[in-house]
Amino acid sequence: MKPFEISIAQDGRPLIAVAGYPVAEGVLTILFGESGIGKSLSALAVAGLVEPAELTISVDRESYAHYLARGDVREYRASGFFVFQEPSSHLNPLMTLRRQLNEGSLARATNEPDVIRRLWQGNEQEAASILDVYPKPYRPSGGEKQRVLAAMAFKKMSLLRPGSSGFFVFDEPTASLDNRLRDEFIDLLVDYLPQAPAAVLLITHDYSIVARLTRRHARLSGKVAFKEMYLVRGKQEVRDFEPREYLGWVSSLKPLGPGTAPAEFVLRVASGMRVLSRSYRFVRKEGDANAATLTVYKGRMTYLKGGSGLGKTTVLKTIMGLFEPEKMVVEIGGRRFTRENRRKDWSRSVWGRKMTMVFQHADEALNQRALVRDVFGGLPGFESSERNMLDALAKLFDAEAEGSFLNRPVYTLSGGQKQRLNLVRSMILQTEILLLDEPLSGLDLKASAKVIHLLEQQLARGSAILVVSHNEDIFDALTRPEDVYLLEGHKEGP
Amino acid sequence: MTRPPDFLVGLSDSLKGRLVSHAAGVVFVAVALAGFALSFEANAPAESAQERHLESYLELNGVDFGDPLDRALFRESLDRFYPGQAARNDSLLQAIDDARVRRWSGPGLRRGDTNRGFSPALLPEIAWQFAQFLLVYILALLGIYFGAERLGLYRFVKWKQGRESYLGESIRIVREYRHARANSRVRFPKGAVALDILKALGKGILTTLFFSPAYVIAYALKTSVDTSSLPFMILLALVSNGVLIQASNRFFELLVAEDRKGYVRTATVKNLHTSYEWNAKEGVPVRVLYRISQNLGPHVLRHLYENARFQFIPAMKELGSFLVTGLVIIEMALNIQGRLSYNLLQQILFGRYDVACVIIFSIFLAVKGTEVFVDTWHDFERRRYGF
Amino acid sequence: MDSSRQFLRQSLGLIRRRKELAWFCMWCAGIGCLFLWDEIFLNAPAFDRVRAALFNTLVSGAGAVFLSLVLGWASGAAFFLLEQRRARYSFALLSLVANAIRSLPQVVLVLVGYVLLNQLILAEIIRSETAQLAWVTVTVSVAVFLEVSDTIRSRLEYFRSLEFIDAMLCCGISESRIIHREILWRNSREHLLHKLIALFGVAIFLQCSVDFIVSVGLSTNVSLSNVPLTLGSLLASVDSKQDILALSNLFSDPAYITEIVVRHLQGVSAAFCIVFTLVCFFMIANGYARSRRLNGP
Repeated sequence: MKPFEISIAQDGRPLIAVAGYPVAEGVLTILFGESGIGKSLSALAVAGLVEPAELTISVDRESYAHYLARGDVREYRASGFFVFQEPSSHLNPLMTLRRQLNEGSLARATNEPDVIRRLWQGNEQEAASILDVYPKPYRPSGGEKQRVLAAMAFKKMSLLRPGSSGFFVFDEPTASLDNRLRDEFIDLLVDYLPQAPAAVLLITHDYSIVARLTRRHARLSGKVAFKEMYLVRGKQEVRDFEPREYLGWVSSLKPLGPGTAPAEFVLRVASGMRVLSRSYRFVRKEGDANAATLTVYKGRMTYLKGGSGLGKTTVLKTIMGLFEPEKMVVEIGGRRFTRENRRKDWSRSVWGRKMTMVFQHADEALNQRALVRDVFGGLPGFESSERNMLDALAKLFDAEAEGSFLNRPVYTLSGGQKQRLNLVRSMILQTEILLLDEPLSGLDLKASAKVIHLLEQQLARGSAILVVSHNEDIFDALTRPEDVYLLEGHKEGP
Repeated sequence: MTRPPDFLVGLSDSLKGRLVSHAAGVVFVAVALAGFALSFEANAPAESAQERHLESYLELNGVDFGDPLDRALFRESLDRFYPGQAARNDSLLQAIDDARVRRWSGPGLRRGDTNRGFSPALLPEIAWQFAQFLLVYILALLGIYFGAERLGLYRFVKWKQGRESYLGESIRIVREYRHARANSRVRFPKGAVALDILKALGKGILTTLFFSPAYVIAYALKTSVDTSSLPFMILLALVSNGVLIQASNRFFELLVAEDRKGYVRTATVKNLHTSYEWNAKEGVPVRVLYRISQNLGPHVLRHLYENARFQFIPAMKELGSFLVTGLVIIEMALNIQGRLSYNLLQQILFGRYDVACVIIFSIFLAVKGTEVFVDTWHDFERRRYGF
Repeated sequence: MDSSRQFLRQSLGLIRRRKELAWFCMWCAGIGCLFLWDEIFLNAPAFDRVRAALFNTLVSGAGAVFLSLVLGWASGAAFFLLEQRRARYSFALLSLVANAIRSLPQVVLVLVGYVLLNQLILAEIIRSETAQLAWVTVTVSVAVFLEVSDTIRSRLEYFRSLEFIDAMLCCGISESRIIHREILWRNSREHLLHKLIALFGVAIFLQCSVDFIVSVGLSTNVSLSNVPLTLGSLLASVDSKQDILALSNLFSDPAYITEIVVRHLQGVSAAFCIVFTLVCFFMIANGYARSRRLNGP
């Protein structure tokens, strides 16, 4: 297998035109790039998983039908595997995970116990109990589903024989895994690599993978390639990505905001919050017996971290008054809120006025069918004149925000552009407190740097920020140690 | 602590909620219908006043309402006295006719009972009619459930084959012929094109038949078939009013929606069979179209089918209600004596609203019963799949 | 010349891609051909009746669809808001009424509407034909509006399952703007249009069926009222019924078709209008859903 030339169009409108889409046999290719620019669609096209009736596709200048009929393509498709994004929708809800893990050609693989043991870090009992359930949106957790899909890929990889070849794609395979599991996954992948004659493509935004691979698996230098996809005048290009670029940038990050602690806090959340039958407490470090009160100060950024699937987003939403808690005491801008308060108390005085929240998935948080200018409609205290809108966009968009950008439908923006628009919408409200859920999700390094710069400006203006993110490398560096909290949660009752 | 009643133990909370809501619905409709019937009963004196008003017309000297000429003259006189009120005048003439019918061939005389209102003596007759109605309904509903799944599956496989439209297929053959003719001498595939056009025609006729309201089909067949027999009723309920087409279309759309879901692609990369050719080595066996229990083996269609089937269950509530509408229309439009819906129409026409309400309530119970059954069935399936 | 050929080609391409347009054109052409045929072979008074019946039926169907949209939108949004604000009693009451309407077969609801219409005519509250047609329209819309309401509720539920509503609420955007403008208008109008097209067929089916049933009652000399002529009542008239009954001759003598299309035109025209309209609008709704990909996840 060698790099592909791919072009995809829909109704005559080009979606992807890329030469040198990076795939090589026996090599693990890590492909970075802003979300929504076509990394996944290109991989789906190579793997023959795109519905040709809906798109016009050519690969290596051949029509899609001709490409799929090629002998080598048939072989690496049949022997390969694709771990799709969004694990929830990629598992059949009416079949137990165990049956799905042993279906089709996977039934012939014998390495399941080994793969499961490693992906569950030795806790085979827990894995066994999970494998007997029917996958549903909230159970098993996203991380568990992601591990099941990865296990399928490793099972299929074990079936590869010398002389054959297979195309394996892992699309955002670590998005729902916490740091320990992510590292275990990377280690497992690296262990399988020399055994299988596979071309492995790992598509991700998680730059911390770079750190793990360069520090722990430096010996693999020839077997691992780092690439980055980006847009140049509407066309995709792929270039080499230098691990030092990321490592150097992270080491240059400094804590945001003033060095001395001002006395004025604007948000305080007591430990012991209980919501959806889970109890939460905040601690300063792992294993700490003393619970702390999560305190967010004016002009400072507070970082709340915790394992995957623990409920960090739930805690943020509860503070925002979007969930009915069973127990809670929160102080927002000097006003106390408990479980007795009703939605209208938040809607009248908190939402968009004292506090706002930026949600993780820009695709869901923005109206895809609206124009960019409509995203600014109905915001309290914001006059949506063309000048104001362009000024607001300029903070995160550079030259892109000029001219007709305001009239573009949101669904035509790249994932990174949507995420930045999502952030801009909340930031122009200039509320005292800003809650951010995974603010760097889907962004490349350049866009991440811009967002961090904007956060710095918000803090300088006196806003307080509470952030939740799995990018620990970055946010540990941006936050002072006294402003970092660890979330612990456990299920209560049956 | 209070224990829930035994029949509710083991049911999910959502089903318990639904059952309670169904029970409340039954009570609500019973009360509403009783109120409706009583309000007409309360209006009875007003009706008598109306009757007295009509009597004065009926006793007009020299006017015989049975004579067409007298009727026409009376109608013209009305137009003179009440110009521009054609509807009112028509209604009055109609009301006079009604009064005459009531006087000479009224329900009391016809049925041999003088009681205008509802009496318990009517119950066995209504119950027997209801039992017949229920039998036809249940058999037709079963036919629709299985028929819709098979037809939907058939359409889906044809869609996956890219051969959904016979006309489209014949155009494709002609195009291929024109393309081939440019390079070599080939014969025009007359047979294949003619066959596709014939199939298209047949499909068009069947679609038209399935969409025809039952009364159109029944009247077209009335002189050659016994349209009042139970088997004909069941068949008519199945193939008319668009019920089967709507139901199979629902199942087809569910399959199409499932086909776009991610888990199908995961199944594909596990090397499950993906060919949709009939009876091909890794394709779809034709037996799926007639077997009661499906076994699709290692084919991705198995994933799709199971999910679509699961989601199709709640749709049976809506289809059941629509089927009842169809059955009521059939019985009423064909004037089938001794059937529940025809009885209902008669009661409404003769203004015996209390009896009509009892019949409406029994029809309502048939729909409600379907809803309770479908909810329980769906709940059972949900629990089976760990929802 | 070239430009008109190009226009024709583009139009044909559009019709091929979008089945709903093809079926709409087919419906127009079918009705057009029927009228042309009737103009030649059907006597003038009968042709006038066919035209008036079709017009009344379509107008009433369209009116019922419009009213269903209004009722469905209001009730769907009310359901959602009451649930969102946890107004349990109001929600339960609204559900009770909606479930009762849902469980009563639509044809029964329309029949009840006709009973009330009869009372209103007798009491001389409703007099003109237009008012009677309007009443029938209202009745049919009451029988079908819950389907619009359900579509609206399912769209709102879908957006609630995403972070869409919460993200906007947190920015201080008003709930009514989110529901009506952002979700229902911007994101659901195609779904609603699809539902309304399908409902148009259902409304016509119900109206014709009940008109037929009620008008068949005329033959027993007892009737509820004299409603304006629709396809259903036209079909139920003695002449038309004879025309339809004549269809069964085709089984013994297929050549009788020439008689059918020349001598039995009134009934056949009415039946054709009903069936053809039902088929076409079902296909239009289906084609629209397919071309707009409304059935996907």
